[in-house]
Amino acid sequence: MSMTARVKKLRQQSLEAVETLSSERAELITEFSSQDIGLVSSTVHRAMAFKYLMEHKAICINDGELIVGEKGPAPKNAPTFPELCCHSLEDLDVLNNREKTSFKVSPETRRIYKERIIPFWQGKSMRELIFNEMTEEWKAAYQAGIFTEFMEQRSPGHTVLDDKIYKKGMLDFQAEIQASLSKLDYLRDPLAYEKQEELRAMHIAAGAIVRYAERHAEKALELASKEQDEQRKNELTKIADVCQHVPAHAPRNFWEALQYYWFVHLGVTIELNTWDAFSPGRLDQHLLPFYQQGLSKGSLDRMGAEELLQCLWIKFNNQPAPPKVGVTAEESGTYTDFAQINLGGVRPDGSDGVNEVTYLLLDVIEEMRLLQPSTSIQVSKKNPDRFIKRATKIIRTGFGQPSVFNADLIGQELMRMGKTVVDARCGGSSGCVEVGAFGKENYNLTGYFNLPKVLEITLHDGIDPRTGGQIGIATGDPRAFQSVEELYNAFEKQVNYFVDVKVRGNNVIERLYAGYMPCPLLSLLVDDCIRKGKDYHDGGARYNTTYIQGVGLGTMTDALTSLSYHVFDHQTLSMGDFIANLDANFEGNEQLRQQLLNRTPKYGNDDDHADKVMQRIFEIYYSAVDGRQNTKGGEYHINLLPTTVHIYFGSVTGATPDGRMAGTPLSEGVSPVQGADHKGPTAVIRSVAKMDHVRTGGTLLNQKFTPQVLNSEDGLDKLVQLIRTYFRLDGHHIQFNVVDAATLRLAQQHPEQYRSLIVRVAGYSDYFCDLSATLQNEIIARTEHEAF
Amino acid sequence: MIGRDMNINQLMAEIDRDILFYDQSGGGVTFTGGEPMQQRKFLEEALLACKERHIHTTVDTCGYSSWENFSSILPLVDLFLYDVKLMNADKHIKYTAVSNQRILDNLYKLSSARAHIIVRIPLIPGINDDDENIEMCGSFLAEIPYLDGVELMPYHEIGHAKYQALGMNYRLENTISPIDEQIGKVEDLLSGYHLPVIKHLSGRTV
Repeated sequence: MSMTARVKKLRQQSLEAVETLSSERAELITEFSSQDIGLVSSTVHRAMAFKYLMEHKAICINDGELIVGEKGPAPKNAPTFPELCCHSLEDLDVLNNREKTSFKVSPETRRIYKERIIPFWQGKSMRELIFNEMTEEWKAAYQAGIFTEFMEQRSPGHTVLDDKIYKKGMLDFQAEIQASLSKLDYLRDPLAYEKQEELRAMHIAAGAIVRYAERHAEKALELASKEQDEQRKNELTKIADVCQHVPAHAPRNFWEALQYYWFVHLGVTIELNTWDAFSPGRLDQHLLPFYQQGLSKGSLDRMGAEELLQCLWIKFNNQPAPPKVGVTAEESGTYTDFAQINLGGVRPDGSDGVNEVTYLLLDVIEEMRLLQPSTSIQVSKKNPDRFIKRATKIIRTGFGQPSVFNADLIGQELMRMGKTVVDARCGGSSGCVEVGAFGKENYNLTGYFNLPKVLEITLHDGIDPRTGGQIGIATGDPRAFQSVEELYNAFEKQVNYFVDVKVRGNNVIERLYAGYMPCPLLSLLVDDCIRKGKDYHDGGARYNTTYIQGVGLGTMTDALTSLSYHVFDHQTLSMGDFIANLDANFEGNEQLRQQLLNRTPKYGNDDDHADKVMQRIFEIYYSAVDGRQNTKGGEYHINLLPTTVHIYFGSVTGATPDGRMAGTPLSEGVSPVQGADHKGPTAVIRSVAKMDHVRTGGTLLNQKFTPQVLNSEDGLDKLVQLIRTYFRLDGHHIQFNVVDAATLRLAQQHPEQYRSLIVRVAGYSDYFCDLSATLQNEIIARTEHEAF
Repeated sequence: MIGRDMNINQLMAEIDRDILFYDQSGGGVTFTGGEPMQQRKFLEEALLACKERHIHTTVDTCGYSSWENFSSILPLVDLFLYDVKLMNADKHIKYTAVSNQRILDNLYKLSSARAHIIVRIPLIPGINDDDENIEMCGSFLAEIPYLDGVELMPYHEIGHAKYQALGMNYRLENTISPIDEQIGKVEDLLSGYHLPVIKHLSGRTV
């Protein structure tokens, strides 16, 4: 099966569309907020604002499409959220001009911002409020790059839907809201009035999204009346019929199921710029009944279902992540908004979740080859190998998708965090690797935490050597430390201190969102907000998790291993000399740096010298974060992933004791330091699996291969077995980067950065850097030959 | 690049690390070289240690060793990868410095003793890829009681850099790796002898 002419054209348009900043939403929200509507509760006010957006934003139906609706007035027109982050004119210029992830800002948009948006919102945005409410300690740590803050430009809303929208329409939700309203006990429940307001807001939001769909139906009929082409006329009439029915009512067929989800996706991501990863979840399981029913009635065939799914894929790809600036842009420098489609896993009863729609979706992923939506397979021991193998055939084409998750471990992680067995089975990964109970949880990533920077502060007794400022606590001059234990203790104190600072900030920010930015639409979609009469931001969800993501575990491990090995175990170097060399960025002592790089145990080689240090760092970070109370009745947990923040964090972190130069990237996820693993993928897996992944909410492991490693059936079988073994050892996630010829050329020029790059040579695999120049060239040539 | 000394405990510690991977994939340990039969005593110890752990064992050999050596390890080996290079005795002496008689005898005996064997023929253009050699291989192998497989190992240039690094003279300087068409032709020729040919394509078409 390939793409139909329609899909080809829409896909091409999506690829060619230029990311543009649209002022439409900013204008509408400003218009609405300028009106005098008297005294209303903030949640009803937000619902009315949402209704205003749904009633007034332009309706876009692109030629040829079957699934309709855009976040902005046209594909890749990104709306803005001035109530959260009001871009300055300077921000707009940066967005327009920057080299990576830019957004075109037209002179007209700039003028509208200058005349209407900025004057209205300046001093009133959440971003300004948040920074005003943070302590000096928080600001010092934030500016030094100890941690980042997810909510400074984007609202919480990292969540995934379950199957409820495939069973209930918005009218059904409104009936539930009414039932909840009628049960309010104003005599005994002191919060009854607040609940009333929240429920009223949800009711308004449900009605607003129905109206938004109806406007699409009206537009489709209008287009149909002018359409000359008979086939397109029929399609437009069909679109009108679909949009009349969903989301007001439960979907009747496959097409309506997809369109319903899409309206909900648009609604949630227009209501607020949810950070991030709003996703449909287990699309294969959700769609199966509609697919089977369509086939048995003869109203749908595989090709038709495939085309509809492809149309949905294009809609995802048409929506770049909201424009980000400052540190937020650094930590997440990508257009992707992290919607992740999950395939496989298990069903609510625990049985194998792979079905015929799983394979259909894998075909769609392979054919569409788009950045968005992101896709993952959830691998359970109950799933057949051929499911994994089908996915590896996509992986080897080299666009990093789908990523691979351990469904059985995720179930354990979720249960450890307090979910019921069934809720855990219905949960999974989202965003990058983070886990949650789909449709029932508010789980927010709140910021990355720079572990190597904390070590740097520890080695300077609380002072940041970059600025000379005292940003940590005084934990003693490390030159006086008599044992490595003193070093660990000092490091642990600094970690605890900075986590305290971060959590204090989080607890304020969570309340700011609960108070000022309720999200009634998202709330009605997540259990048990309707039953509790509480907003998603205010503890309405059944489960509420706050994550802080540790970054640089590999760098951190190698750094502490190196200090322990050279200063305390072998006494080859004094702490004073070591710190002096770090402060000088190894200038004039490249020999020492090489010794640190090449003559010191490294994480990722199944070497307990280093791996035990990793376990200890894990325990320190875990103990600092896990189990703290958040403001929503839930707890803090950790995950270990970087998105792109390891580059930014590296840029603010001086030379590290593992031989890493100042300003260069940190290691990413739980992967070993780039190039430090030289014993092959099985050793990496064994090292990484020594971490207790069960106690995290997600870890990220990256492995690189060239296409040749995977170009035979045998190679794919081995990859399947590698995945199975990592998961037997309770690894959380693994992704495979299949590299291209350009990367191989870079590896030739900078072998030190590509030490762990494995290439398929001739019936066996080897480290690329170990091959002769001639052979390297031959492999580059082969890779180019096989490039897609 | 040229290896390191290890005792049996060190070797088995290294092997033990990956037991889970062997279990998962149905894989095991392959003893190759050089020529593992050159270190027959150590090989036997290592094979025994693997068998104690129920690890699948494979020995990759050129076949040039005494029958006593082979018979001593026979019960410990799950699979032999066995080289057959040239059938013509004189040519064999010319290119390898030894006669092929012992190699061919051992192959026959191993098979008669019900060993599992995959015969591997290195395909080196201009040296053993002529029809005559392939046909002689075919008719000889057809007489072997039982073979698990017969496969070609097309020549490649990977050893070149290693020879250079070791300061050795590389004497196949101008030999070019065979392309798929040539490999396919030889595979077809061997298949004519009703041998269990395992087909491979190198991906090289020019």
